[in-house]
Amino acid sequence: MADGYSPNSEPTTRTLLRRVLDTADSRSPRRPRSIRAGTQRTLLETPSPRRRSSQRKSTARRHSHGTRSVGRLAHVQASRHLDEQTPRTLLKNILLTVFFTAPESSILVPKSVVKPVPAPPAVQPPRRESSRGSLELQLPELEPPTSLAPGLLARGRRKQRLRLSVFQQEVDQGLPLSQEPPKTADASSLTSSLNLTFATPVQPQSVKRPGLARRPPTRRAVDVGVLLQDLRDTSLAPSGSSLRTPVATLPTDTVLEDTQPFSQPLVGRSPSVHHSLPHPSHNETEDTEKAVDHWTQSSQPGLQNDKVTESVGSQGAVEAEEPDALSDEDSSGRAASPAVASRTPSLLQAGQPPPFLEPTPRPGAAVVSSEPVLARRLPRPRAAGPRPRQDPHKTGLNHYAKLFSFYAKMPMEKAALEVVEKCLDKYFQHLCSDLEVFAAHAGRKTVRPEDLELLMRRQGLVTDQVSLHVLVERHLPLEYRQLLIPCAFSGNSVFPAQ
Amino acid sequence: MAEEEAEEQQRFSYQQRLRAAVHYTVAGLCQEVASDKEMPFSKQSIAAISEVTFRQCENFAKDLEMFARHARRSTINTEDVKLLARRSNSLLKYITEKSEEIAQFNTEQKAKKKKKLEEGNKTLEAAEVVESES
Repeated sequence: MADGYSPNSEPTTRTLLRRVLDTADSRSPRRPRSIRAGTQRTLLETPSPRRRSSQRKSTARRHSHGTRSVGRLAHVQASRHLDEQTPRTLLKNILLTVFFTAPESSILVPKSVVKPVPAPPAVQPPRRESSRGSLELQLPELEPPTSLAPGLLARGRRKQRLRLSVFQQEVDQGLPLSQEPPKTADASSLTSSLNLTFATPVQPQSVKRPGLARRPPTRRAVDVGVLLQDLRDTSLAPSGSSLRTPVATLPTDTVLEDTQPFSQPLVGRSPSVHHSLPHPSHNETEDTEKAVDHWTQSSQPGLQNDKVTESVGSQGAVEAEEPDALSDEDSSGRAASPAVASRTPSLLQAGQPPPFLEPTPRPGAAVVSSEPVLARRLPRPRAAGPRPRQDPHKTGLNHYAKLFSFYAKMPMEKAALEVVEKCLDKYFQHLCSDLEVFAAHAGRKTVRPEDLELLMRRQGLVTDQVSLHVLVERHLPLEYRQLLIPCAFSGNSVFPAQ
Repeated sequence: MAEEEAEEQQRFSYQQRLRAAVHYTVAGLCQEVASDKEMPFSKQSIAAISEVTFRQCENFAKDLEMFARHARRSTINTEDVKLLARRSNSLLKYITEKSEEIAQFNTEQKAKKKKKLEEGNKTLEAAEVVESES
């Protein structure tokens, strides 16, 4: 990050950054802080000529996106954090916003850009100036910034992420870009950047940490779908009914509030999902249909969410009918689906309204971080069903496989990715059974840190030279731990952030 | 300093002797397998197998110690050994069977000892009774 910092005094950098962020405020149509921004803008203009001359073009290019994106995001943090942050964090904020929609920012930027400087960006205040000059350089230049601040971007603040996710949601809805798995770094950077909270475009670090990453709302659709599949499968198993009550009585609200800062969107949905899920098992066909309607009404206004809850309802209806209404002629059409029930397409075969088509295939590309958690909660209590067990686990491992493909730095075949997923699946199963065995060996029923330490010793990660705490300090800096600790202490009910 | 070196050399030569012993046993087993499958083993492969076995023994020993300590014991138990062998199903089965056999054997031995003791006591009592009577 040498380029990021001026060799001059820090306060200058800091003030510059502040100004950048403030001007960003003005540009954004959403945040009416134009007053402040206006004053700052004038300030910006004066130092710009000074700075411009002294800098290299390349670095200016790198920061080209900074101001652009700053427009969107920086204002969010600017007001809060300006006084608290060091230049490093300010710069990080700026660079974080690098990911944001090039088209959107380009729309925003020109307004303010018009004013000051004609072009060729100098470096330091490069963020300011680059925005003016180099709008057209957006796409190809997403790459260089990434190399700059991986270290900085590795940390994020909670509040910042809070706003980021909200922003991302808005961006997602407005953004024409699709969210296909990244094949090339450049192309992916734009798309994956939207899904990332704190990572460079080239490095989808958030993909690494499903529990910590904030994912766009599309993922929720799959969660519910998988959840319903599992529930339907549990209804087939004799222990189905006993399972539903625990699901319904899970303190989802409190847990979600405890674990994730912006779990509120999910809280609204998941309780409705959870509580409504037990319904189908006990209701007749008509009641399930009523329940479906109820769900659709109670679902959140998002288009996807509606569709998802409908799919939830329909799946629930299918589920209920299998054990209950096999003799029922009305449900015969739907009952025909139980054979294929475990597949989401079965919903379509069951003759449910076509809108389901859209949410179900869509989330396929988007990896579900919550799936492993949700799916594992369900499969574990019931012993049956290797088949339903595989689906949620494997789709949950999808993003690990993508991570693998990223680190491979080469394009990977789908077959190879599937093999990687299988290996990961086996590995994690093995790992967890080892932990179980270790706990049982010590006469316990709960896995404790000692068991984990033993496991890591066997893996060779913890040795006489390197203790567990050293590893913790090395790989889990405080910011991550702050996020993990509420998860860890939430009574083993962990829900991924949405 | 010289003492330490001497110690190290001693340990090293001890290790070498152990390796040689392992190698001898492994070679014997390999000869059995070779005659069984009618496919000879090359010397290098036998040496490689014996070296790997030796290193694995070290690993096993450390693991066993860790397991025993994990269960807050100071003695290595059959449970620790079973935990070690759980990876390979056939090996685990074999070991559990063997451990059950041994356990049975032990109980039988204990039963025999008890019987002997009882018989001994009975004869003594009988002798005492006889003596007292007479």
